[in-house]
Amino acid sequence: MHALIGENGAGKSTLMKILYGMQKPDEGTIAVDGEQVTFSSPGDAIARGIGMVHQHFMLADNLTVLENVVLGGEKLYGIGAKARKKIQEISDAYGLGVRPDALLEDLGVADRQRVEILKVLYRGAKILILDEPTAVLVPQEVDALFDNLRELKSEGLTVIFISHKLGEVLKVADDITVIRRGTTVGTADPKTATTKQLAELMVGSELPSPETRESTVTDVAMLTVEGLTLLESGASGAPLTTAAPADPSVTVTVHEEAATGRKLLDDISLTIHKGEILGIAGVEGNGQTELIEALMGIASPDTGVITLDGDDISKTSVRKRREGGIGYIPEDRHRHGLLLEAPLWENRILGHVTEAPNSKRGILDPKAARKDTERIVREYDVRTPGIDVTASSLSGGNQQKLIVGREMSHNPKFLIAAHPTRGVDVGAQAQIWDAIRDARREGLAVLLISADLDELIGLSDTLRVMYRGKLVADADPATITPEQLGSAMTGAATGRLEGTEEQPEDGDAR
Amino acid sequence: MMKIDKDKLIIGAAGPVLALVTSFVLTVLVLLATGLDPIEPIRLMIENAGYSDVQVLIVNQTGIYYLAALAVAIGFRMNLFNIGVEGQYRLAAMVSALVGAAVDLPGPLHILLIVIVAIATGAIWAGIAGILKTTRGVSEVVSTIMLNAITTSLVAWLILPKNFGVQPAGSNDLTTGQIAESGWFPGIDMGDGGQIYGFTFVALALGVVYWFVLNRTRFGFDLRATGESESAAQASGVDAKKMILTAMLISGGLAGLAGMPILLGESHTYSLAFPVNVGFTAITVALLGRNHPVGILFSALLFAFLDKASSNLDVSGYPKEITQIMQGIIVIAVVVSYELVRRYGTRRQQQKVGEELAAGGAIKTDKEVSA
Amino acid sequence: MGIASAALALSATACGKSSNDSGSSSTTDSKAVKAAIAYDIGGRGDQSFNDAAYAGLKKAEDDLGVKGAEAEPSQGESDADKVARLTSLARAGNNPVIGVGFSYAPAIAKVSKAFPKTTFGLIDDTSVTAPNIANLVFNEEQGSYLAGVAAAKASKTGTVGFIGGVEVPLIKKFEAGFTQGVKDTNPKAKVLTQYLTQPPNFDGFSKPDLGKAAAQGQLDKGADVIYAAAGLAGSGSIEAAATAGKWAIGVDSDQYNQAGLASYKDHILTSVTKDVSDSVYNVIKSVKDGKPQTGEIRYGLATDGVGLADSNPAYVKMTDVTAAVEKAKKDIVDGKITVKTAP
Repeated sequence: MHALIGENGAGKSTLMKILYGMQKPDEGTIAVDGEQVTFSSPGDAIARGIGMVHQHFMLADNLTVLENVVLGGEKLYGIGAKARKKIQEISDAYGLGVRPDALLEDLGVADRQRVEILKVLYRGAKILILDEPTAVLVPQEVDALFDNLRELKSEGLTVIFISHKLGEVLKVADDITVIRRGTTVGTADPKTATTKQLAELMVGSELPSPETRESTVTDVAMLTVEGLTLLESGASGAPLTTAAPADPSVTVTVHEEAATGRKLLDDISLTIHKGEILGIAGVEGNGQTELIEALMGIASPDTGVITLDGDDISKTSVRKRREGGIGYIPEDRHRHGLLLEAPLWENRILGHVTEAPNSKRGILDPKAARKDTERIVREYDVRTPGIDVTASSLSGGNQQKLIVGREMSHNPKFLIAAHPTRGVDVGAQAQIWDAIRDARREGLAVLLISADLDELIGLSDTLRVMYRGKLVADADPATITPEQLGSAMTGAATGRLEGTEEQPEDGDAR
Repeated sequence: MMKIDKDKLIIGAAGPVLALVTSFVLTVLVLLATGLDPIEPIRLMIENAGYSDVQVLIVNQTGIYYLAALAVAIGFRMNLFNIGVEGQYRLAAMVSALVGAAVDLPGPLHILLIVIVAIATGAIWAGIAGILKTTRGVSEVVSTIMLNAITTSLVAWLILPKNFGVQPAGSNDLTTGQIAESGWFPGIDMGDGGQIYGFTFVALALGVVYWFVLNRTRFGFDLRATGESESAAQASGVDAKKMILTAMLISGGLAGLAGMPILLGESHTYSLAFPVNVGFTAITVALLGRNHPVGILFSALLFAFLDKASSNLDVSGYPKEITQIMQGIIVIAVVVSYELVRRYGTRRQQQKVGEELAAGGAIKTDKEVSA
Repeated sequence: MGIASAALALSATACGKSSNDSGSSSTTDSKAVKAAIAYDIGGRGDQSFNDAAYAGLKKAEDDLGVKGAEAEPSQGESDADKVARLTSLARAGNNPVIGVGFSYAPAIAKVSKAFPKTTFGLIDDTSVTAPNIANLVFNEEQGSYLAGVAAAKASKTGTVGFIGGVEVPLIKKFEAGFTQGVKDTNPKAKVLTQYLTQPPNFDGFSKPDLGKAAAQGQLDKGADVIYAAAGLAGSGSIEAAATAGKWAIGVDSDQYNQAGLASYKDHILTSVTKDVSDSVYNVIKSVKDGKPQTGEIRYGLATDGVGLADSNPAYVKMTDVTAAVEKAKKDIVDGKITVKTAP
């Protein structure tokens, strides 16, 4: 098992793309089993026994596991009993525990990942490439995944593993390669190396820590949310209810609550004070996205009141809210944070088109915007040859730094930071944390949503756990462990996490 | 940095050039396949374009295509496909001609009234599609196609003599009545060549306005942002529905203006012989011009050239339809070549940025300065 | 901006030369009469109006030794394009220059002033007049009236159909005459009227499937004689009526003798003829003879410019029908019946 680590933009993804035949190298050779090969398409790579598990799963929700696995590989074992037998065989051999007939949309993230792995194995892969497989998993699931991977290894398969999380890498890898700016800068032996050494290799700086020790929390409430409820409506809800009568025995049991206008947000109440970072933990898809959208004004909640700095903003538009001082680091920066085909300086305007220095009285001021973009690039260490390149040509980490810089440039009162360091390298991570911490010291209120539990625990002043649209538990980040948090995220624990004292529902944490 | 800008220009031009070359080659092949000399018609067309009267026709037609293509382009810039430009153009020309013939005002006011009625008619007609899209989610492609069909019937009904139309004595034509001379837009007399419609210059001025609004105003930024990524625009505070409706209204208003050069400068009435298909050709013009005001100007000029310079090819024994074949091929070639060039451009830029960063070409950041 | 001045410069540079100059030299050296026709939308090959005009030109070429020229319009053109076309034809020494269709009226009004020595033929329009314009018009309503008489007499169900190609005033003349003829003959008869398309959609003159569908609908409603004034689209109506074993009435030329319709000809009761080709021929001949036609040249029943064809033997055998038609014709020529030109 070989781990590949490096900063974002260091060339990991490019290297993987070349190995998987998605991109052609200009020079150099690849050898598989001592034999030199060239790939011109993923098909060639698959034929050579290389399989790729992407960071974003490539599965069809409305098909079963069996169908998903067989899709595109019909020629191998057909689509019937033979395929089913083969899937069962692989699943048993590596302890994947996959049920061929389960509908994919009913599976959790970890199960889906196993389906992806199975899909690759089904096509006869001997070398597996996993692109940041742990980014979306809770600690328990990570351990289970590593067990699976060890199983694969013991069966003689090779695993190439890309990650940012150095602790994990040390735990599971047999060999580590560090790359920086397109070249190999070193290799390490996981038995002797420490995370500190690895990080230094990666960025040439010290390992950052998300911890914020001194508290800056004030008792001035900046954002209060009361009784926020959002019902599922329209397109996504309808098919489920109509599907129910068609096959009641299966569907009804699976979609017990989906059938009845599911509550995406269920009576959410919270208060964030000036200088406070409130962290929300939860497995993805439990209402975090909806909460952000409701706070931003993108989704209109069915009930509830949102107050920002004393003003009721429940009914105001997105633009007015942004002008009123809400900063937004979206969870999906490609969809919500950037215009990928537009140059950086236009991206700097996005979301703040009505504010200085971007425009005056309805007329854009490109000169001022460009100048300010250059400032952001400098201050936030955005690695780019210029501000006229498109956002899509930057690496993920640099894109994120640009967004953080942009949002911080307008002195927000309240910042929504959704997965602020997802897919961001260690160096950029530290800078983003610093930026958030600095602003917090000056009285910024932050809502932090993250799948990285270390980040959540380290950065937050208060922690809440979200499960099925509800805030089900809260915790003190000073004492909680990632494992405890993880179990609450799966709904196993509610109330106040730590000690034995019972706290009713989601009463005020402090 | 300069290098990337130059690249951008080359890549920007590569799409249209590729499309034009492809369609040119295919047209030549069609001519060869039908046993005709492929070079002679082109020579004839170029020769035709040397005559002043043909040039005036070309310039006038360019103005018409330009207006209609701007209408299409503003929709394209935010991913709205206004196929209804044709209908908006026809209805607006008809209604404004009716109003223009019915009133008698001093010069500039008369013209202004006609123009405003045209803008309003086009905007309202396109606005119907906008409202259908924002309230009921009806695709503007479907609704504008249907509105085109409704336009045909509506205009045919309105122009009946028993309604608002006029049938001049001894004529088999139907018109909306003649607009008094106070409602004629003065043109530039080119002597033997004819007259350049004054409204052609209004069209060009609107191109400048189009550029300014799109690139230098908040509204334009919101519009472009919506076109590039609706989700990002929405998160940035753009009210998508309002934006769709506004864009449709502007598009329709511009489409309404497309009839003005002829109405105010030549026919002074809407008759059964009023030019059709302007709105459909404009879609290709806008595509070829990459929705950019200067690009559209060139493609409008090209299409006007193809139309007018080919008009007496048949006298020399060549089918003038070859220009229609060419225009048709351009549509397909444009779509394909733009996508190819776009992919190539993105890949190339990513590569370049990577290379420049590796070579230390990045802007010096604070961190590096302090390090 | 620079764009505007560039456009100006473009046209300014070539100001001295216009395409019209190129042909002026040929005016002098040609002794032979050169005649030109500028077609209506659809051009040559439309099996109808334009083809009839071409037939006239062809006849002039064969009989009179005239050199003919033709020019077709392009889609979506404006009056300016027509002006340019007529001008270049006139400059090239063609005389007469004939505009096929009323849409040439505004253009001919302009061009005729620039070429006072050239005769311009204008078909279907009298709104534009000048000493050198020959307005060639037809009393389509009179021919259609006779068709109405024949239809009313031949119908057994008392229901007849009229199909108009495109709803324009010209075709309404056909409808008006036909309806009047039917009603005058049998006041109780019912006339089903349908137009295939509305302007500016001229498919109704060119798409037989439209005519076929419309005829089918009228047959279903009990019509047993169908008169289609719809150019090429009318052949679809004829096909439908013939297939159903009912009567069809053709238009413009004697469609009984049209090769393309040979398999249905037994069911083509008669055709309303409109002698466009003769009118074109006559203008050319008048110019060649040095006595150019001018003003309104009307082709009616009296001069056989319009009429009813009697090529179908079955029609000739229906003596009661032919008698009624002959009587109506006489009444119209004598002025006892005035046929309306609008429904």
